[in-house]
Amino acid sequence: MSKKSTGKDIWVLGDYRNYFKNRVTLQILARARALAEKTGGRVCGVVFGHDVGGYTSEYIAHGADRVYVIDHPRLKSYGIETFTNLLIGLARDMNPDIILIGATRFGQEVAPRVAKRLDTGLTADCIDLDIDDKQRLVQIAPSFGGNLIARILTPKARPQMATVRPGTFHELPHDDTAQGEVITLDLPEDLPAERIRCTHSEYRPVKTLGIEKADIVITGGRGMGSKGKFKKLFDLAGLLNAEVGATRPVVHAGWVGHEALVGQAGKHIRPKVLFSFGVSGAIQHTAALMDADFIVAVNKNPDAMMMKLADVAIVADANQVCSGIIRALKEKIRD
Amino acid sequence: MDFNPCMKHQVVRKTVREFAENEIGPHAASLDREGRFPTEIIEKMGPLNYFGLQAPPSLGGAGLDTISYAIVIEELSRVCAAIGLCVSVHNSVGLFPILKFGTEEQIARFVPDMAKGLHIGAFCLTEANAGSDAGGVETTATKTDEGYTINGTKIFVTNGGVCDVVLVFAVDAGSQGPSRPNVFIVEKTCPGFSVGEIEDLCGMRANPVSSLFFEDCPIPETNLLGKPGHGLKIGLTALDTGRIGIAAQALGIAQGAFEAALSYAKERRQFNSPLTKFQTIQNYLADMATSIEASRLLLYRAAAAKDEGGDFGAQSAMAKLSCSATARTVTDLAVQIHGGYGYSREYDVERYFREAKVTQIYEGTSEVQKMVIARHLITRPS
Amino acid sequence: MENNTLDIIVCIKQVPMVSELPWNSKTGTLKRELAQGMMDPASRLALEAGLRLQRAGQPEGRRIRVTALTMGPPMAEEVLHQAVSLGADHGVLLTDRKMAGADTNLTSFILGRYIRMFQPDTGLVLCGSQTSDSETAQVGPQLACELDWPAIGWASDIRLTQRTLVVTRLVDDFMETLEMDLPGLVTIDQGALVPRYAGLAGVAQAFAAPKIDVVDADRLELDKDFNALKDSPTRILDVFSPAAQKESRVLKGAAKTVVDKLFTDYGKIISSAMGKDLKKK
Repeated sequence: MSKKSTGKDIWVLGDYRNYFKNRVTLQILARARALAEKTGGRVCGVVFGHDVGGYTSEYIAHGADRVYVIDHPRLKSYGIETFTNLLIGLARDMNPDIILIGATRFGQEVAPRVAKRLDTGLTADCIDLDIDDKQRLVQIAPSFGGNLIARILTPKARPQMATVRPGTFHELPHDDTAQGEVITLDLPEDLPAERIRCTHSEYRPVKTLGIEKADIVITGGRGMGSKGKFKKLFDLAGLLNAEVGATRPVVHAGWVGHEALVGQAGKHIRPKVLFSFGVSGAIQHTAALMDADFIVAVNKNPDAMMMKLADVAIVADANQVCSGIIRALKEKIRD
Repeated sequence: MDFNPCMKHQVVRKTVREFAENEIGPHAASLDREGRFPTEIIEKMGPLNYFGLQAPPSLGGAGLDTISYAIVIEELSRVCAAIGLCVSVHNSVGLFPILKFGTEEQIARFVPDMAKGLHIGAFCLTEANAGSDAGGVETTATKTDEGYTINGTKIFVTNGGVCDVVLVFAVDAGSQGPSRPNVFIVEKTCPGFSVGEIEDLCGMRANPVSSLFFEDCPIPETNLLGKPGHGLKIGLTALDTGRIGIAAQALGIAQGAFEAALSYAKERRQFNSPLTKFQTIQNYLADMATSIEASRLLLYRAAAAKDEGGDFGAQSAMAKLSCSATARTVTDLAVQIHGGYGYSREYDVERYFREAKVTQIYEGTSEVQKMVIARHLITRPS
Repeated sequence: MENNTLDIIVCIKQVPMVSELPWNSKTGTLKRELAQGMMDPASRLALEAGLRLQRAGQPEGRRIRVTALTMGPPMAEEVLHQAVSLGADHGVLLTDRKMAGADTNLTSFILGRYIRMFQPDTGLVLCGSQTSDSETAQVGPQLACELDWPAIGWASDIRLTQRTLVVTRLVDDFMETLEMDLPGLVTIDQGALVPRYAGLAGVAQAFAAPKIDVVDADRLELDKDFNALKDSPTRILDVFSPAAQKESRVLKGAAKTVVDKLFTDYGKIISSAMGKDLKKK
């Protein structure tokens, strides 16, 4: 079994912190498979840690042809520099064509360091990946809160690196019959000491961190008409378990407090679903919500910018639709 | 002649705008509705030097040039004209006369706390029988052994309800010949001083405009501002300066109304088009923008003239005349562009509309401004 | 670094106010000079963190000097004045046509070159965790690599001891306390602090006695043929606005009709986000 790569390998770094909630490695493996079809490369998982056999087999079951593993007691706790150094060392030895890492905070710590020290490029928070006709990785990533999307290449430097937004790709179903090699490597003897000491680490999943972390957000604009009518959005929010945000004119009119402001100078939101009622869509506002996965906009004006950005644009009176949705939810929510 | 704003002025504008939009904007409508003076906002503004804009840094002020000062007042007024008014009046007719005409002792005694916003200043000239005619002032100051005793009533005093230090324009009682007006520094702790009811006004409702009563108020000699009999000169200089602040305030009102109208016109659709497609609306917007731009340039010209040191009275009169007229026409058109919604309290423009009118009245009516300008034209050597 | 002084550098970025996004489609770079600029909110937090450390050091007699460092076109000088208005002691603008179009790899190289050449005794570099425009969250850690310093990201709280830095942070649902020796680099998490407002005396003073250094490619001894756009390992192919590309499904009609349609066709998405089942009805 050759340890050297074919020069076309696609590596996916195993981010297993907060697994099972965090599925990003499995998601990226699925995409890596699709990319590998085009390049003819192998999909390789990379795992560092202690007693990580479970993850190794999981990655194979989810698409990896091969998994490189360094399993050692010293790696029991995550160390930024340690994991970075290990990946760099491995990459220098094996020359992968592509390294993909989930854009969790863990991934976003390791990736830039690895890219810098391998003197290669890195595209952050990709929402898509593709292979072009020259077999190069096309990295598609948002900026300005998603108002602009860029397609980026790393023409010359190798490996090509990208971090991938969790939830972008869908993992393949678990396949117990999948075959893959596990290549176990030793901890390098010359691994530098970790300069960042973790004195305390506690798993603390936070239930709600306000509008910026909410899965569902409801925003209201001038089109709601009045403070009294705007209040109805809070009733809807209660049923959806959502947070309420607002545009600047609404905050200025005193219909809601400044903490609800969604905008360049306010809060940035990344909900799974955004309901936007009576919002015209000034760019200062939309800059802060383009990362929403699914947008439903309600406005009497079919040409309002917010309607153009929405996945579903409802041309109707915002108040009536809000009331309608409240009624519908009351009937539909299972007790 | 460089008409581009320099980086300093850009930064002043952005600095004030950020504070105004975050801290004042969300409350402007409710403050106006309730007629409430927001002491909690004022307290945040004190440490940020809003109450010592042109006072020297050694005394706790910001030492800004007058164009910067005008930008500050404009940016505050764009969001809440009542607060813009409070800050403008405090700075230009409350604090400035003390800095310009006060003794070292007076400056040391009053300026530091005023510059920090711990003490709010005001200036009272207007009385029931003395509006544009300052000669009709009846508040008297009678000479005593310890100083003076002041008697009288002043009306429509901006900041009256909250002022700690007020400059009072009074005439010498019992003097032979033409009365000698003086300006006195009166502290609210002075016996016999009281504040009347807050006026119920059409606009600027968050500013506590009120009457002030002086009943045998004992004023020490050391509270006379400037030399005896110099009251008129002090009063006129104060008004020249105050005009720039009010012009800036009017400009801010116009700017706020204009932005609201432009944004509304882009969104609102009738006859299958946004309003901006209609020539009438385009004409309105063009007129509004032109007026604002012209008034702005006059304002900055006056501000620059003041800093140059010469006589800036006519220019500041032109600035106030122009800016207040612009505020009137722009806010009127802003309401018109909003249609029915413009008449509703749910939108800001009706507030701007109500606020604009008084800028043509206080600190010298537009008619008085024209008198000042005409006098300048007629008397200057041709 | 003497025992009781500490030089802090805060990396600041001027970003365009989002109301305009002028894009140069030929070079794939942003025409930053056309847009009104503002101090990136994340940089603002980093500056706030630095200023608070400065204030905290004072009772112990520790002298902490805060430098604001930025790389950008000439107009970026404005954010340095803003930083000085807020309390920074000094500002440095790295500017040169050759630096235009730098990706994070090149940006960190240039920033690192300045620090090594001109402020080598720096003890701490602070950055925002990610800027509001490019949002890569890469410059901080890459700059640390350039300097070969340890770096900790997404700090919500930082505490200086004599020689070390203690950071508290919440990352991926883990609440952590980390410690590293100085010199080091820290990026500050969004929402970690409420930044102060600039006072007008600060603004006036910043311009009255400007404390800004402007440093170009020559002073940094960059190669004669240095070209950040060409030398950056990544290249932007093209940029598009998703708004222009979005295919919206339009629903029209009476409120009840559209609401029914909404739940019929999209009920799954809604219920999945809610984490609750919805009756089909």
